[in-house]
Amino acid sequence: MKGKELLRFETMLACVLVLEILVFSKTGSNFATQGNLFEVLRLSTEIGLLALVMTPVIITGGIDLSVGSALGLCAVVMGKLWRDAGMHPALAAVCTLLLGAAGGGLNALLITRLNLPPLIVTLGSFSLFRGLAEALTRGVDNFTNFPKSYLFLGQGYLLGVVPAQVPIFAVVAAGVWLLVHRTTYGRAFRAIGFSPEGAGYAGIPVGRRIALVYVLSGLVSALAALIYVARVGQAKADAGTGYELLAITAVVLGGASIFGGTGAIHSTLLGVFALAVLKIGLTLSDQPAELAGILTGALLLAVLMVEAVARKLSARPGRISSANVKVTQT
Amino acid sequence: MKTISNLLILSTILSSVILTGCGKPEQSAETNAPGGKQITVAVMPKSKGNPYFVSCKKGADDAARELNVKLLWDGPTDPDPARQNEIVETWITRGVDVIAAAVENRDGLSTALRKAREKGIKVITWDSDSQPDSRDFLVNQGTPEDIAFTLMDEAARVLGGKGVFAIITASLTAANMNEWQKLIEQRRADKYPQIKMAALRPCDDMKDKAFAEATAILNANPEVTLIMAICAPAVPGSSEAVKQSGRKDVKVIGLGLPNDNKRYVREGITPSVILWNTENLGYLTVQTAVAVAKGQLKPGVKSFKGGRLGELEIKGDNVLLGKPFVFNKDNIEQFNF
Repeated sequence: MKGKELLRFETMLACVLVLEILVFSKTGSNFATQGNLFEVLRLSTEIGLLALVMTPVIITGGIDLSVGSALGLCAVVMGKLWRDAGMHPALAAVCTLLLGAAGGGLNALLITRLNLPPLIVTLGSFSLFRGLAEALTRGVDNFTNFPKSYLFLGQGYLLGVVPAQVPIFAVVAAGVWLLVHRTTYGRAFRAIGFSPEGAGYAGIPVGRRIALVYVLSGLVSALAALIYVARVGQAKADAGTGYELLAITAVVLGGASIFGGTGAIHSTLLGVFALAVLKIGLTLSDQPAELAGILTGALLLAVLMVEAVARKLSARPGRISSANVKVTQT
Repeated sequence: MKTISNLLILSTILSSVILTGCGKPEQSAETNAPGGKQITVAVMPKSKGNPYFVSCKKGADDAARELNVKLLWDGPTDPDPARQNEIVETWITRGVDVIAAAVENRDGLSTALRKAREKGIKVITWDSDSQPDSRDFLVNQGTPEDIAFTLMDEAARVLGGKGVFAIITASLTAANMNEWQKLIEQRRADKYPQIKMAALRPCDDMKDKAFAEATAILNANPEVTLIMAICAPAVPGSSEAVKQSGRKDVKVIGLGLPNDNKRYVREGITPSVILWNTENLGYLTVQTAVAVAKGQLKPGVKSFKGGRLGELEIKGDNVLLGKPFVFNKDNIEQFNF
């Protein structure tokens, strides 16, 4: 049942993506080119990374609102360690990744040990991380002039064509896909999403699994920060503002239930690309950037509505499982 | 409880998605040229919502119509350096003829502009500069000396040659802001040693933040009797703060738009507003961009015919708009932008 539902979502989203590509190939200049394909991948890497790790969080029935702020904090810390502490960029990057994981660990600790709702905990760390980033820079300091070797991560092209961040994105996507779809961890995430108590009785170490998704989320937010700083060439406290909502949008667009239990990495990627293609396609069609916001919202609502209507039509007496009722509330 | 929190999440997501999308799409000028390839000029403001840049756009539209070029006017809704990079990079993919950028972050955007030049796109900057090797020309709204000295002279006039003032700037990273501030300080030290600067605060190009900063300055430094606001939204923001504080002895001057400040000028809170003609700045930007794209304007040229603006001086690689203008009680009603 679940698998089927998700499949329907995916098909619909794939159709939306194909439709976008067809329309923008007509209206946009240089849209259907190899260069633009890589540009889409390049510009969707940070949000894509955040959405990838947001998926297991949402599958467990949780949410992580702190990823955008964590990105900002990690960006600033990267700049501070490199410029002010005089660290080699590689060492600074490793420390930044550790900090990201620690930030995720803080979320995990509060959620699993104190049993606080993830929404509230990460709402707190959302403000905390951004606040720390602003405090570290007093809101004005801006780190620039990073060494070329580091900037390559965000601005370089391998063999002159493939943006340097694309292989990283691919590796993380493959890793998270394997974790969610090919290991017992993934099964544990879904079980927890449907019923944490039930999962506990089934012998799943619920606390440890939940902790894993939040630490992973923090770690990958730090990775996204490193790529962001290298791409933009600057680290400022406002880096990644609003990214958490874009990541959640991509995950929900990909058909994951915000109540937990369902969601797939490949669908999330479809969601990420549907959003990125929309944004870039509009600019290539000479439309103002803010139109992307309107259409993103409209797209999300439309996909949710069509899905809800389709489910109502196909729902027959006797086939309504408890899980199905749950999803109906979306 | 769970349902409530879930609904909360959903509505947060949805409302933010919708809110991000607020704003009216704008159509750019002209589409089809009679024969020949039409030049596409991509002009980027620091932030589209700022009335300063809105009035620049008017002039840019005029020039695009006169020259029959396609004008793309796009930028972040708030001053956001990362978004500027993204838009420039998409313009590179799109293949515009010339990019004119008002740069929010010097080092950050310069790499993107350099990339554009590598792909054969002409690049100029306007309003705020990038690194000189990433563009051909800067359309300069007034030399920093002209602007800074005019501001400091006005400040000294209002203060009567002695007192304490504070500066509210847009951001401490914008190149032009920093340079103005340094020159203001230089002028103060040279000519007005009896005047002191008490505070320098950024307002992120936002009126409400300027209001908050001005209020904080007045509370923390009661000896301040003049606020100098050197970005457009900060002048009315600071004036409103002064008005609400009830302090009759505090005045506001700054770089701003006449329409934003008319009521405060009438009320006597703001004795003078200093600016160049923003419509002319937008107009000259497009004129310069097109001339560079056509290869008519090359490095080393000493003057440039900027359409209705006539013959303009070029100093090095700066196309100069002319001397700043002081708006006051006597003349401000004649202006509408």
